[in-house]
Amino acid sequence: MVATDEELVARSMAGDHDSFNQLVLRWERPIYALAYRVIGRDEDARDVAQETFLRAFRALPGFKGQAKFSSWLYRIALNLCRDWIRKKKRTPVVEMPEDFDFIEMAADQGPVESIEDLVARNEMSRVVAEGMKLLPDEQRTAIVLKEYHGLTFQEIADLQGCPLSTVKTRLYQGLSVLRKHLESQGITSFASGRAS
Amino acid sequence: MSLKFTCDDKATLVAYLYDEIDAPDRQRVDEHLRQCAECSAEVGALAGVRTELTQWAPPSAELGFTIVRTDAAQKTASSQPAATVLRPPQWLDTVPVWAQAVAAVLVLAVSAAIANVQVKSGPDGFVVSTGWLAPASVATAASAPPATATADEQWKPALIALEQQLRNEIRATRETGVVRAASRSEVDEATMRRMVELLEASEAKQNRELALRMTQLASGINVQRRADLLRVEQAIGHTGVEMAKQRQTVNYLIRASTTPQQ
Repeated sequence: MVATDEELVARSMAGDHDSFNQLVLRWERPIYALAYRVIGRDEDARDVAQETFLRAFRALPGFKGQAKFSSWLYRIALNLCRDWIRKKKRTPVVEMPEDFDFIEMAADQGPVESIEDLVARNEMSRVVAEGMKLLPDEQRTAIVLKEYHGLTFQEIADLQGCPLSTVKTRLYQGLSVLRKHLESQGITSFASGRAS
Repeated sequence: MSLKFTCDDKATLVAYLYDEIDAPDRQRVDEHLRQCAECSAEVGALAGVRTELTQWAPPSAELGFTIVRTDAAQKTASSQPAATVLRPPQWLDTVPVWAQAVAAVLVLAVSAAIANVQVKSGPDGFVVSTGWLAPASVATAASAPPATATADEQWKPALIALEQQLRNEIRATRETGVVRAASRSEVDEATMRRMVELLEASEAKQNRELALRMTQLASGINVQRRADLLRVEQAIGHTGVEMAKQRQTVNYLIRASTTPQQ
C-alpha cells in the first residue's frame, strides 16, 4: 500500500529520512515543471526545485499540517521563483531549451506518434511558450497552477495571496491574451459545448 | 450570482470553463450560451486555448534529488537538522580522486607541450620561455639549410653528420686519452647548434601538418552542418505546409458542424 503524503511527512518528522526522500521522489517532477514553466530556464528550474526540497526539509519541524504538503511545497517553490525573477532582474523567459530532445519527448508520449506529429507538436509547444512569455507574472503563474497542476481557484488564491475573484480575472485575462496570440499565429480552435 | 447570467460576468464564465461551478449557475450559463453566439464562441475559443496549452511540456530532466544527512548533522542530532539535497551523480563524482589527479597532470603536460615551455639555466639563473617563435640566432641562421629543402631532407644528412662527428670524437678521445676543456666546449656548441636546427625543422613540419589537418576538419564540419541544416529546413517546411492544410480542413469542418442547419 502506498503511503500518503501525510503519513510520509509524519515519519519524516520522526527522523525517517527515507520517508522524506519518498516525498522528494513523488514531488520533484511537478515542482521542477512548475519552476520551469514560471521562470523558463531548465538549469535555474533545477536549482529552484533542489532549493525547494532543501528548504522544505529544514522547515519540516515547523510544518503543522494546516495545508496539504503539496500546497506547502508549491508555496516554497513559487516564493523561490519570485526571488529568482527579482534578484536576476530578468523577465521570465519561456522558451524551448537548446538541448530539447524531440525523440525523448516522443518516447514519453508513446510509440504511435509520427515524426510529422512530433514536429507539429514541437511547433505548437513553441507557440504556446511564446504566448506565455507575453503574460504578466501573476497571470502566467495562475494559468500554470490551474492548467498543469490542477489546483482549485481557492488553492491558487491562497498561494498567490489574493482574492478568489482575482484568480478568475487573471485566468480570464491570461487565456484571452493567449487566444489572441494563437490566432495571430494562424492557430484557431473552436470547441463547442462546455469545457471541463 | 444574479438570477440571469450576463455577458460581462467573466468570473462566472471562467468558473464554467474550468467546471468549478455549482449546478444552478452552470444551468444559467448554459441557457445564456444557447442564446448568445458571442459568449458561446468565446467559451469555445478559450477551451481551444486550453487544449493547445497541453502541448507545452517541460524537458524530461533527470532529477533524482536526495536528502543526505551530513556527518556534522549526525553528531548534533538535537540541533537544527542540516541536510544537503544532492543532484544525480555527475560524471565527475564517479571518477576516483587518483584518476582526477592523473588527468590533471596529463592536462598540464599537454599544455606545456603545446605552449612549448622551456626552462634553461644560465649565468642569469633559470629562464622560462614559452611559444614556438623563438628568435633565431645568427649562428643558426648562418648554418640553416636552404628554405626549399624539405624537413626530411634536412634531418637525415644532419643526423648522419652528427653521428659521424660523435664517432670521430670518441675515437680521438680514446687515442689521446686527454680532452682539453676548450675543444670539448667547441664540440658541445656545435652539437647544440645541430640539435636546435633539428628541433626547429621538426617543429615546423609538425606545425604544417597540424594546420593542414585542422583545415580539413573545419571544412568537413562545415559541409556536414550545411547539409544537416538543409535537411531540417526541408523537413520543417514540408510539415508546416501539411499542418496549415490540415488546420484549414479541421476549422472548416468545425464551422460546418456548428452552423445551424436550415
